[in-house]
Amino acid sequence: MTDQSVSRADSALGCQDLTKSFLGVRAVNGATFEVPRGQITALIGPNGAGKTTVVNILSGLMKSDGGTMHLESTETTNWESEKIARLGLMRTFQLSRELGGLTVLENLLVAPHDQPGEKLFNIFFRPGRVTKAEKAHVERALEVLRTYGLYELRDSRASDLSGGQKKLLEISRAVMAGPKVLLLDEPMAGVNPALIERIGGYILDLKAQGVTVLMVEHNLNVVEKICDHVIVLAEGRTLATGRLSDLRENKEVVSAYLGEVIDASAIS
Amino acid sequence: MSAFWLYVFTLIFFLFDYFILAMGLNIQYGETGILNFAYIGFVAIGAYMTGAVSMPNSVGTGQHYILGLNMPFPFNLLVGGLSAMVVSVLVAFIALRRLRTDYLAMVLISLSLVFYDICNNYVPLFNGADGLYNVPSPLASVLHLTTNSFTVVFALLTGVISLIMWWIMSRITRSPLGRTLRAIRDDDGVAAALGKSVFRYKLTSMMIGSFFAGIGGGLIIQFNTSFNPSAWLPGETFVVFAVIIVGGVSNNIGLLVGSLLVETMLVHLVAFLPAIPGHPGLILNIAAMMIGGLLMVMLWFRPQGIVPEKLRRSPAAVSSVTTPTEYAGIDEGVSHD
Repeated sequence: MTDQSVSRADSALGCQDLTKSFLGVRAVNGATFEVPRGQITALIGPNGAGKTTVVNILSGLMKSDGGTMHLESTETTNWESEKIARLGLMRTFQLSRELGGLTVLENLLVAPHDQPGEKLFNIFFRPGRVTKAEKAHVERALEVLRTYGLYELRDSRASDLSGGQKKLLEISRAVMAGPKVLLLDEPMAGVNPALIERIGGYILDLKAQGVTVLMVEHNLNVVEKICDHVIVLAEGRTLATGRLSDLRENKEVVSAYLGEVIDASAIS
Repeated sequence: MSAFWLYVFTLIFFLFDYFILAMGLNIQYGETGILNFAYIGFVAIGAYMTGAVSMPNSVGTGQHYILGLNMPFPFNLLVGGLSAMVVSVLVAFIALRRLRTDYLAMVLISLSLVFYDICNNYVPLFNGADGLYNVPSPLASVLHLTTNSFTVVFALLTGVISLIMWWIMSRITRSPLGRTLRAIRDDDGVAAALGKSVFRYKLTSMMIGSFFAGIGGGLIIQFNTSFNPSAWLPGETFVVFAVIIVGGVSNNIGLLVGSLLVETMLVHLVAFLPAIPGHPGLILNIAAMMIGGLLMVMLWFRPQGIVPEKLRRSPAAVSSVTTPTEYAGIDEGVSHD
């Protein structure tokens, strides 16, 4: 099966027939979809549909049992996450994973790839280059922190932040790395309505800057407001793809999202 | 010179030497999160290699050992450090690629036991259980030092070396490399998701730490002029862990404090106390129990150590980027008089 709604040429990220089992339970069972470039795509589905597992596989955190995936035109099936990240895919986590012992600013400063100061040789023999790059990174990090409203917190220990601030920190850290594709795993879960509004605005801004976004989201109001494209996952398979307004007509989608996926004949 | 001062300078030597050892273990455990339970093995490699390359050819000496290159100080010491570093690369490829936390710790402690048994039993390598002895004292012939004045000079020299090592380590931990290592310590999954090659950085950290271990070990064999397996029982690793946990993980001042409290006061100070009549060796056992007790107390009540890790607030580069007015908003409510 292939996803016909988005052509491969327009796709920034996609997968075909992904499978993944945990102790015999098929968490992902043939998920197939394409994420249109430069748009915001929602990955929705009931709990246990395999959304987070798919995100983990796409970002290289987990290896799939079968299937293929690509990032832009590169086949990335079962690549290490660091390699996928360097290709321009950044992600956030469902439960925020801030680097707790570092300050907010340091969390961002870790993000840029190939910093001269990460090489032992440069630290001792090319200190000028290290300082110059560091200055540029700090400048950019402070700018990102200003954008995301974390500037005042830049010297706070990241583990001391509130839940909402940690969500913002995760997004800004991913942005700091200059991603082409951004995977957001429930960026608005457990966040107050005002902050949901703000995060939605940030995501739209990223789209305007040309970043492709794939977000796992349960809040259909948010999906309706900001997402261009929707992928519905149920029982590890792609149930449907398209615009949310079209999908609302789809009975299968509605019943899946309400959790009525159990085959009635199996009960009687 | 009185025995008292000899004793004091011996303590000073161990204070600075363990400061170097603590810095090496700290970059692995404190900065990168690698539970290196084989650390003392790298100290031993440094000591043995320093000794083996500074001694003359073993033929006719009554000892068996490899190399015997008659190498002068400080080149022998560098060989010790670099040897430990080379072995750490091998160990990293065996243990560090796939394993983490407790599994890694188990493999490392097993490796250190294997290495210990090899050194203890295979005589041609480093003279087996007898170990190396009669290792030439560096500078002694050049400066015409007696055994006593050598103790003083070498203790002070170790102090100078430890300051140089401190400078090197500070450069590393304050650099973006140090930051990336701490990111890996806090969450290596996040570091990988940010595109950091976690193994490469862990390998770097292993190599730096092992170099420090090797130098520290090399200084020990030079100071004592001998080194044998009884000096590096695998449990010794935990004394170095105690140094950094008591003093303060990821804080160089803390490491110096830990080195003073644990190594100098509890290990070496008591070693020279007169034995309790009828109970030879009891004092050393009490000291070992005190280290264990101190470790437990610290982990229970003050896991961050006596001098805790400092948050690296706005690096120097920030102040040159941000204008003073931007700071004004932050400092609200803080008086500046």
